[in-house]
Amino acid sequence: MNIFFHEFKSYLKSAGIWSVAIFLIILIYFSAFNTIAVEAEDITRLMSSFPEELLIAFGMNNMNFGTLLGFFGAVFLFCQICLAIQASNYGFSMLSIEERELTADFLLPKPISRGKILTAKLLAAFLALTVTNLSVWVSSFFVINLVRDGRDYDTNALVMVLGTVVIFQLFFLAVGMVISLLMKRVRSVIPLSMALAFGMYILNIFGNMLGENTFEVISPFTQFDPNYIINNGSYNYPLAMISVSVILIAIPASYLLYQKRNVASAV
Amino acid sequence: MSIIEVNNLTKYYGKARGIIDVSFNVDEGEIFGFIGPNGAGKSTTIRLFLSLIYPTSGEAKIFGKDCIKYGPEIRQDIGYLPSEVFYYEGMKVLDLLKYSASFYKKDCTKRLYELSDLMELDLKRRIDDLSYGNKKKVGIVQGLLHSPKLIILDEPTAGLDPLMQQNFFNLIREENQRGATVFFSSHILGEVQRLCSRVAIIKEGKIINIQNIKSLQHDNYKKIRLEADHLDEKAFSFDGISNLQRENGVLSFFYKGDINKVTKIISGMQLSDVIIEEPSLEEIFIHYYE
Amino acid sequence: MRIYFRELKANFKSLLIYCGIVVFFVVVGFSKFSGYAENPEILQVLDAMPAAMLDSFNMNAFNLTTVVGFFGVMYAFMGLILGIAAVMWGSDIISKEERDKTVEFALTLPVKRSTLITAKTAAAFTNCLILALVTWGMNWVVAGNYNPDQEYYRFLTQGMTVLVLLQFIFLSIGVFLGSVMKQHKRAGSVAISILLGTYFLSVIAGLKEEWDFLKYLTPFKYFDPSLILHESRIEPVYLWISLGIIIVSLAGAYITYSRRDLYI
Repeated sequence: MNIFFHEFKSYLKSAGIWSVAIFLIILIYFSAFNTIAVEAEDITRLMSSFPEELLIAFGMNNMNFGTLLGFFGAVFLFCQICLAIQASNYGFSMLSIEERELTADFLLPKPISRGKILTAKLLAAFLALTVTNLSVWVSSFFVINLVRDGRDYDTNALVMVLGTVVIFQLFFLAVGMVISLLMKRVRSVIPLSMALAFGMYILNIFGNMLGENTFEVISPFTQFDPNYIINNGSYNYPLAMISVSVILIAIPASYLLYQKRNVASAV
Repeated sequence: MSIIEVNNLTKYYGKARGIIDVSFNVDEGEIFGFIGPNGAGKSTTIRLFLSLIYPTSGEAKIFGKDCIKYGPEIRQDIGYLPSEVFYYEGMKVLDLLKYSASFYKKDCTKRLYELSDLMELDLKRRIDDLSYGNKKKVGIVQGLLHSPKLIILDEPTAGLDPLMQQNFFNLIREENQRGATVFFSSHILGEVQRLCSRVAIIKEGKIINIQNIKSLQHDNYKKIRLEADHLDEKAFSFDGISNLQRENGVLSFFYKGDINKVTKIISGMQLSDVIIEEPSLEEIFIHYYE
Repeated sequence: MRIYFRELKANFKSLLIYCGIVVFFVVVGFSKFSGYAENPEILQVLDAMPAAMLDSFNMNAFNLTTVVGFFGVMYAFMGLILGIAAVMWGSDIISKEERDKTVEFALTLPVKRSTLITAKTAAAFTNCLILALVTWGMNWVVAGNYNPDQEYYRFLTQGMTVLVLLQFIFLSIGVFLGSVMKQHKRAGSVAISILLGTYFLSVIAGLKEEWDFLKYLTPFKYFDPSLILHESRIEPVYLWISLGIIIVSLAGAYITYSRRDLYI
């Protein structure tokens, strides 16, 4: 579809930059691994007797710095922040761009329904995010193998962790979309996407302190905590379902909202 | 069949009125004018046609089909020229025109180049670098390249130089002769006068008049201007005379009624010059604008 | 100056939001602290961790179980929030004229462009100050629940003052970007990227010996909270670097904006 290609083209540069940035982050972070690993055995022993709160605070619960995957957990968290920002950006800007740049008078009078427009844009954004997703996969495997120095790691666990990226991205994309449609006018995307991404991150870090597992569960950072997956060998299904449900609600809601929206134009 | 059929169309933006109870028809092959002061609701009406916004009540049908329900379908044959033209960044003119053409089922390439030639567009330039007037030219080509059956114009000539305006109007006339219907919103009354056969006047959201251009001028009054050495205003103080003005040796007024009354008086005068004409649309409408 | 007041008004909503975020952060943060307070086990844990790890989390000089220590650790996060606010306000306040297409109004007024920048920067800086004040106030009040001693209050005040300097650094960078970048839409993204990038650098700077030089590149590392706490000072070298960045950025902003062509 023509809209699809047009939109995707506009994402190329951004997706490229994010993909490279994530690669660099993983690479640089892991290059410090060997220094840490040396002292890691001592930590591991002590960690097991630590109070939960401290570990959770710094995302260190269930973490085992000495192992490749344990360290990866910390690195992945930083990547998740980047992925969240990128997907939120795309989500918030996707449907508001015509109103922000006043191109609504061009696109919307075309012989195409709102639903088709949304589908094309959604697919284009998703494809762009997938490019970055691929970068995460490739970078992770590449770098881990680079520094592994003969160590072994559980490939399955790594694959499972990497598998969460898709849903993670979709969450921020969908939520960004829906919120942008609920707003009367979107002037600037960045503050919104930062708020969503960092908001979820902070919720993860702090949420569990506010009371037994109330707030934190809505944060994808909590639901797709890499350390949980690595240590338990499986996903936290109940929590993951929350994100999936959010996505499944947000997307049809977006279709409905976009269909009915009175689109603001230049005059 | 009416190309456009509007029935009690109403749009409120929250509490603010957009248009109220608007009804009119536009027949095939007409060039229909839609005029009114700023903020009257002209653009609102157009946006409703294109389902950019949705009505509060009432309906609008184009080609016999409801604008909202059959939106994408009817828009295959609608060409829209908005008053302010904005495009995506980073595109060249040709790219944008091709992108626009890709939405329509027919092959528009030939027409695309024809129109670009006519409007003297440089296809290789980036849109970001164009002046406002040039962007408008792109808008014109973009709106017409799919040979639409209905052309909707919203203040189309704002920003164009007089020569281009001429080109544009010729273009519209040609399209009209090819069978296209034109819906023309403007408040440059001279343009409307030149092109349109019928005109609807909207003010504060309501239609206050729909009329034939010819009869509009005719039904109204005549403008009379007399130049003479000795002018006696009192001779012209009967019914039907309005706007009597005297300046140096010139007496001018508007007259509606039996023209013979006036000619009788004039024939008895020693005049150096006389002008009797129909008022311009401008003069007629200013009173509607008030 | 009218421009100054107008900008204050225009950015008020944004200021409120950031203040709200800070309030939330402090309140929740301290409620978390209740889990650490006077907990000796934690001390053990901290002693055993490798220095590198602690450094990333800014924990190497702090006793997490005291209010003072806790604040010292939270310091980094607060710097992050205040930094984001500053850099966004800075870049936004200049580029908004081009974004909202008000260039033909604002910049054809009988005012010099440099005056415009001064007024806008001052307004953005005022917002930064207010935000810092709110942060300081919240930390003062909420910590009261735990009866910290004088040392805490001194640390808090000095620490916040230093954060204001940090804000000013990022503000200047933001203003510079907003003034220089012709593609004004990108100014915000670039500003955030720089901020995130320097934050990343600050996290990894401590991981390896060889990476220590990275400290010079990231404002987050200029002001060592442990130094502030224990010796009430910051290292002069960094003060000079900060001033340098601020002066260069602002000068750059003034010079380029005055000469640049402004289009819609």
